[in-house]
Amino acid sequence: MFRYSLTTLLLLLAAFVVQQFLPAFTGIHHSRILLVQLVFLCCAVTVGPRTMLLLAFVGGFFWDAQCILGPHGGDVEIYTQRVESMHFGYSILLFGAMGFLMQGLQPLFKQGKWHFSALLSGIAVLLYLAAEYAIINFIRGDFVLSRSTVLQMVFTALLTMLFSPLIFGLLFLIANACDHSINPEAGRRRQRDF
Amino acid sequence: MKPLNLIALLLFLGGAAWALTRSDRSVREIQNTYYAAMAPFLKSGSAMETHARAFLEETQHSKALEAELEITREQLQGLYLMKSRFRALEIENEQLRDALHFKKTTRFAVCAARVNRRNPTTWWQTVEIDAGSKQGICSQLCVLSNKGLVGVIDRVDHGGDRSSVLLLTDEKCQVSARVENSPEVGILNGQRGGFDGVPMLRLRFLSANAACHPGQRVFTTGRGGTFQANILLGTIESVEKGALDSEALVRPVVDFANLGTVFVVLSSDS
Repeated sequence: MFRYSLTTLLLLLAAFVVQQFLPAFTGIHHSRILLVQLVFLCCAVTVGPRTMLLLAFVGGFFWDAQCILGPHGGDVEIYTQRVESMHFGYSILLFGAMGFLMQGLQPLFKQGKWHFSALLSGIAVLLYLAAEYAIINFIRGDFVLSRSTVLQMVFTALLTMLFSPLIFGLLFLIANACDHSINPEAGRRRQRDF
Repeated sequence: MKPLNLIALLLFLGGAAWALTRSDRSVREIQNTYYAAMAPFLKSGSAMETHARAFLEETQHSKALEAELEITREQLQGLYLMKSRFRALEIENEQLRDALHFKKTTRFAVCAARVNRRNPTTWWQTVEIDAGSKQGICSQLCVLSNKGLVGVIDRVDHGGDRSSVLLLTDEKCQVSARVENSPEVGILNGQRGGFDGVPMLRLRFLSANAACHPGQRVFTTGRGGTFQANILLGTIESVEKGALDSEALVRPVVDFANLGTVFVVLSSDS
C-alpha cells in the first residue's frame, strides 16, 4: 500500500514534467489535455482519503507554482485599478474538492466498474475549469461567458477524459507491480467465477 | 469519519491556508525553486524538439531544397537592390526630420529571443522565451515584436536563460495607451475568456464623449513606468459610449498565435 501511494505521488510529479510539452489544440478552441489533473483524479479514486489529500496538496501547490502570475509593476498613480488575480494556493482547495468527488465513486471502482470513474474524471475536469472561470469572473466583478469559452472547457474535459483509460491501465500495472489491489472486490469476484 | 482521516483533513486545510497566506515575494521564491527543479527537463525537452526538427528538415528532398536555394538567390539580389534604395530613402527621411525639428524616434537597446513554447495554462496568456538573466533580462521589462508590443516579462529563471512573458492579451497586462490624433488616453488590457476566442483588447477609461472611431491606431503613452512611449498596440474596432466613460475594442497589431522572435527592451533613450 505504501509503495503504491508513493508511486502515485511520483506519477503525479512526472505528469507535471510531461504537461510542459503538451501543446494547446488551437483548432479546437485552444483546448488542451490537463494531464496533471487527470493523473490526480485517476489516482484519487484508487487511494484512501489521506493519500488523496496529500496528492491534492502536492498537485494544487505545484500547479499554482507553475501558473500564478507576478504583480503588475507599473506606477500606482497611472494604474489605479489593479487587476486582481487568483491567489497562490487556490488550486489546492479545487484539487481537494475534485478528489472528494472522485472518492464518491470509489465503491463502484472497487467492483471493477472503472468506466464510471473515467466518465466522472471528464465531468470533474469540466467542473474544475468552470469553478476556476467562475472565480476569475468573481474577482473581476463582471461576469462574461462566451460560447468559445464554454467550448474550450467542454473540449478540454473531453480530450482529458479520453486519456483516462490509459492512466487507469497504468495504475493497474503499478498496483500489480506493488502487490497491491486497487479493486479488491472485482478480484474476489473473478476468483469466485474461476 | 475516522480520527486519522479527520486529522489528515485538518492538516490539508491548514496547508491550504498556509499557501493562501504567502506573500508575493514568498510565492516568487517558491516559483523559482519549482522552475529550477524543472529546468533540466525543460532543457532536455527543448533539445529533443530541436533534434527532431533538424531531422525532419534533413529528410526534405534535396531537389526541392536546390530549387528553393535558386529562388532565394534571386530574391537576395532583388533585396540588395531594395536595400540600397531604402538606404537612400532613410538618409532623405533623416534629413527631412531634422529639418522639421521632429522628435527623434525612440531607440531601444534590445535583446532578441525566440519563443520556445506557450506555458501550459488554460486561462493565463504567457509564453516562454529563450533569454533570461544571463542576457540581462529582469522582470517588468517590455517585450516587442517587429510589429508592436507583445507584453512584459513576468518571471525570469534564476541563473538560467529562460523567462516567462505575460502577453498583452492577458487581463493582468495593463498598458497606459493613447489614441492617435486625439487627446484620449486610457488603460488597455485583454480579457480572460472574452471576445469569443478572438484576442481583442479593451481600452477603458476614455472620456464619455470620446472622439474615437474605428481604424484609429492606439499607442503606448510611456507613462506608468513599464512601457516606453509610442509603441504600436493595435487599431480601434468599435467604441462603446457609457454615461461616465467610454470603452473601445482594440484589435492587437501583433499576431499572438504566431510569435517567433521577440525583442526584450533592456534600456531606451526616452
